[in-house]
Amino acid sequence: MGLNSARYVLREVGSSLRRNIWLSIASVLTIMIAMVILGASLFFFLNAANLAENFESELEINVFTQEDLSNMEVSALGERLKGLDGVQSIELITKEQALAKFAQEYSESLVEDLGGENPFPDSYKVFVTEPELVEGVAKKIDSLTGVDNVVYGKEVIGPLLQFTNWLRWVGMGVVAIFAVASIVLISLNIRMTVYSRRKEIEIMKLVGASNSFIRWPFLLEGMVVGLVGGLFATLIVGMGYDWFAQYIQSTLTFVPVVSESNLIWKVLALLVLIGMGIGALGSIISLRRFLKV
Amino acid sequence: MIQMTNVAKIYPNGARALVDISLKINKGEFVFLVGPSGAGKSTLIRLLYREEMASRGQVIVNGWNILRMREREVPHFRRNIGVIFQDFKLLANKTAFENVAFALEAIGVSPKEVRLRTKKMLKLVGLGHKENAFPDELSGGEQQRVSVARAIINNPSLLVADEPTGNLDADTAWEIMELLYNINRRGTTIVMATHARDIVEQMQKRVIVIEDGRVVRDENMGAIEYGT
Ligand SMILES: Nc1ncnc2c1ncn2[C@@H]1O[C@H](COP(=O)(O)OP(=O)(O)O)[C@@H](O)[C@H]1O
Ligand SMILES: [Mg+2]
Repeated sequence: MGLNSARYVLREVGSSLRRNIWLSIASVLTIMIAMVILGASLFFFLNAANLAENFESELEINVFTQEDLSNMEVSALGERLKGLDGVQSIELITKEQALAKFAQEYSESLVEDLGGENPFPDSYKVFVTEPELVEGVAKKIDSLTGVDNVVYGKEVIGPLLQFTNWLRWVGMGVVAIFAVASIVLISLNIRMTVYSRRKEIEIMKLVGASNSFIRWPFLLEGMVVGLVGGLFATLIVGMGYDWFAQYIQSTLTFVPVVSESNLIWKVLALLVLIGMGIGALGSIISLRRFLKV
Repeated sequence: MIQMTNVAKIYPNGARALVDISLKINKGEFVFLVGPSGAGKSTLIRLLYREEMASRGQVIVNGWNILRMREREVPHFRRNIGVIFQDFKLLANKTAFENVAFALEAIGVSPKEVRLRTKKMLKLVGLGHKENAFPDELSGGEQQRVSVARAIINNPSLLVADEPTGNLDADTAWEIMELLYNINRRGTTIVMATHARDIVEQMQKRVIVIEDGRVVRDENMGAIEYGT
């Protein structure tokens, strides 16, 4: 494409957006709404996944040692626990810590009644890398020497895993449904745009405009519309999510909310890019019906 | 200039618009295509600028064999043909000036030259004073002048017109015919499909009569009877 044509294309994009102002606004709004929907469902998914991970990370195996173990033997057991496949980290809770925690959680007087006796053994908290591994690892620990008793949420693991998987699927489902809704919205808008441009393209071909000459203004226009719509959506979703996260954190303090700004910015940037991509893609699709390219 | 040999056109829906057309039109001629409604005039016109492709036979225009042309050669082929229609086909959101300039911009002419040539062309068709008007601010005759200006601004060697006066009253129609007459005198070949008997009779040009997709008469001068 020559310089004259490039100049024409730029001018044409500007004047076309201005003269078809209502259609331009409708297109911007469509992409904006679609991106807001997509952005909101993405954040929903991120939080569902985050919540699931949080629940799962609380799965722990409590390993109680035999009472007569020396400190040396206890720490040797710790080394062996650390060396097991699937173990992420361990945490030692001494009998003194256990007693103190008991006193704090129940009552000081009860501890006094014990008369200086400490009924608690040393114990380890073991965290595994994958929640599915809890059961296997627990069995292995049970057979180690020096281990008296192994306790983990046998009954809760199954339902919990089911629940967290369900949470993830719902998250993905929401994204998928709203992605489809966005596509429908946008394709309706494209059909409208194509309809309003049919004559223009027909005449362009009639006077011998090359296909690339016809394509560029539409492509750029689609990108501008997508960019503007995406930016608005980013603003709305960004501010909306910020408000939502703060609200949740101040009212439902125990519910973890995704708030790493890095991740949030990535999602928002993605919205702008997708908006622009959809704008351009929409133009290309609508043009294919008129240009045999 | 134009040569059609045993051309047939059957539309995808099965309509046999052209059955067997053979004709030759020389450079500089002014030819009327007449015939009853549904005879195939518009179809023949569309074959000339490759809006439609013949189902059978050979079509040669300006030395291009239309059936053998590659898709990407079409824009260049079109630049040498001007087309005008009964409904003008102007862009409603562009001014008269922009509608005409468009044909030059589409082929990469510099902005300065576009301005100069467009202004000159609008004067030539008698619309120098209305270049900033939008189509809906112009009369039918004026709109057709704009479309004529757009069709000939690239100095095409062939101008095809499908009932260009069909939407105009008698006086305005004659103004357009005068314009076409002058364009033809400057050397442009013109093929015009029309229903208007009085125009055909008065112009005294070659007349090709088409009925049911066939050429039924081809006379060199003037008046012609067809159908009922
Ligand atoms: N695009 C089309 N698709 C299908 N049939 C068509 C199309 N255009 C014209 N026809 C048919 O072809 C025949 C010739 O039409 P047309 O060329 O428009 O005749 P005219 O211009 O002489 O009135 C008619 O029977 C018409 O119905
Ligand atoms: Mg017709």
